[in-house]
Amino acid sequence: MEPVSYAQAQALSEAELAALPPLRIALLANIVINPLVAYLRYQAWRIGLHAQCHLGEYDNVLQEALGSNADLLGPQTDVVLVFLQLETLSWSLARAFAGLGVEQVRAERERIVDYVQNVLAGIRRQTPGMILWHGFERPLYPALGIADAQRPDGQTAVVEELNHAVREAVRRYQNAYWVDLDPCVARIGAPAFHDARYWHLGRAPYTLAALREIADETFKYVRALKGKSRKCLVLDCDNVLWGGTIGEDGLAGIRLGTTHPGSPYREFQQEVLNLHDRGVVLALCSKNNEADVWEVFDGHPDMVLRRRHIAAAQINWDDKATNLQRLARELNLGLDSLVLADDSDFETSLIRRLLPEVEVLQLPAGSAVEHRNLLAACGWFDTLTISAEDRERGAAYQAEAARTRLKVESGDLESYYRSLEMVPRIGLADPMTIPRIAQLTQKTNQFNLTTRRYGAEEIARLAASDAADVIWLRLSDRFGDAGIVGVCILRYGGGSATFDTFLLSCRVLGRGVEDAFLVQCLRRAAARGCAMAIGEYHPTAKNGQVVDFFPRRGFQPAAADAEGSRFTLALPAPGLREPDFFARIDSEIAS
Amino acid sequence: MSPGPEQHRARVARVISQVMGVPVGEVGDQASPRTLKAWDSMGHMNLMLALEEEFGVRFSDDRILQLLSVPAILAELDLVLPAGGSHA
Repeated sequence: MEPVSYAQAQALSEAELAALPPLRIALLANIVINPLVAYLRYQAWRIGLHAQCHLGEYDNVLQEALGSNADLLGPQTDVVLVFLQLETLSWSLARAFAGLGVEQVRAERERIVDYVQNVLAGIRRQTPGMILWHGFERPLYPALGIADAQRPDGQTAVVEELNHAVREAVRRYQNAYWVDLDPCVARIGAPAFHDARYWHLGRAPYTLAALREIADETFKYVRALKGKSRKCLVLDCDNVLWGGTIGEDGLAGIRLGTTHPGSPYREFQQEVLNLHDRGVVLALCSKNNEADVWEVFDGHPDMVLRRRHIAAAQINWDDKATNLQRLARELNLGLDSLVLADDSDFETSLIRRLLPEVEVLQLPAGSAVEHRNLLAACGWFDTLTISAEDRERGAAYQAEAARTRLKVESGDLESYYRSLEMVPRIGLADPMTIPRIAQLTQKTNQFNLTTRRYGAEEIARLAASDAADVIWLRLSDRFGDAGIVGVCILRYGGGSATFDTFLLSCRVLGRGVEDAFLVQCLRRAAARGCAMAIGEYHPTAKNGQVVDFFPRRGFQPAAADAEGSRFTLALPAPGLREPDFFARIDSEIAS
Repeated sequence: MSPGPEQHRARVARVISQVMGVPVGEVGDQASPRTLKAWDSMGHMNLMLALEEEFGVRFSDDRILQLLSVPAILAELDLVLPAGGSHA
């Protein structure tokens, strides 16, 4: 897809954006970076958000972090972008380094780290929003010439140390991330990234291409924060996983191997496998005879991907829009969780038209050498953290297949549940579990009663608060440990407990575990002295399956408005008990 | 028909309208910082960046400070674009 031009991005009308949910972005910078706003607005619009950007004053970063600009930062701020350029922060380190003595370098370094820590703390006092802190760029022409790289006290080494110190400072905060600008520079090349004219005319060092690249990078974080990351890569086969057409060229005729012309396909497959190992679900969607495709998977010596990596496949002659819908149903995912990688203009334009929710990775036919980089560059699958659960998702899908087979064997549902030997574990959030809990609130769409998205910082605050409990659910069974798969946030007040959040990962749906979790949470509320539980349901496009979750468990309808419905239940509720098909329940919250 | 100043005029007006956020009809043949409120120093930098992208050209730093009206921009484009058309 052609990159958007600056004028096009700028021309997005407020009227068109006004209906979208807001994304409040604050920019603090010691350079002029205003044109970035157009690209931020454009990227936000692409994921259905209205970016409202608040720009700080030029080079007022510390003052603003300490609260000098009341409109800039607040509890509602979603994202804070910080750009500190070394030239403005320390002219001597950036441009007059050769003349500095060891002591002067050390003093400058300390001053900068102090400054950074003060800015971070100040921002955090004003907002729990996500902080994206952009690192210092590596010098392109190090101050000591070729000797610089040899010396531990060279300019490059000093900038690296500074970045390291800043990264450590950022890591001490939840929901704060250090963004490496050097790959952004390298991807488009420094001459295309920096513009000396506007640096001198207006302290604006970056080209439009650079700002577009920075906005792309920013939105990898925003998509992950807002639950807009994709979960499943759907792969075409012919001319994507291998060169040629298996149905015509046969196993010996397709291009796939360690040398040209087969090596680009093998490298592409490795990149796909890397995504699988990060927790991305893989599926196939191919117009072929199914047996031909599996013959390649099972029989070709140079295949990197194997059958066990593929969670679902639609290999037939039906149209791809129908097949993508089938895959989404089978995998229990929304269409907006899918990315289709395909080389056919016909297929990709069909999907763009019929299923606009599906993101399309168009692989240029005839230049397979580019495919691997395009996949690596897309960033649609990026997540803020990679949890143990993510890394094992592939195994989880295999286990799910084994469970399905067992279900068929055992006949009735109760005895099937019993045969799984499930053990739910329930506990309160702590620093170890907070990142996964935040991730679940950001990613879970279907079994999610209120779809409130939280960053780790907010979860930590709720967990520490007397007026709330953040409760997690783990589940293991005879096939493995699924990790943390459920979250409940109870807010206490006025003698009642409100289910602010109640969600379950789609990997454990249909196993009765929600009932055990609910009952445990109700017991907790009763033990904290609540006489009433309040359940909320906020409808979204995705969570229709839980519309009657509370009423089906004895809650009475209490109120309904545009936002959703409320239900109440008197506590304690002795009639509600955990299902008895669990091997046991390990509760750390029963007081 | 070879593209000439008139075609540039329409494109320049469109870019100004997009960057300054005003309807293209309000841009005017003599538009300048005096006629458009949004054409301040920041607006000027944004406009220069957008025009460079639109026409595939690069203004020198000295010229950037002088291209403060539609006629000045059109004259500069005539100068820097190869005869017969633009890159874009």
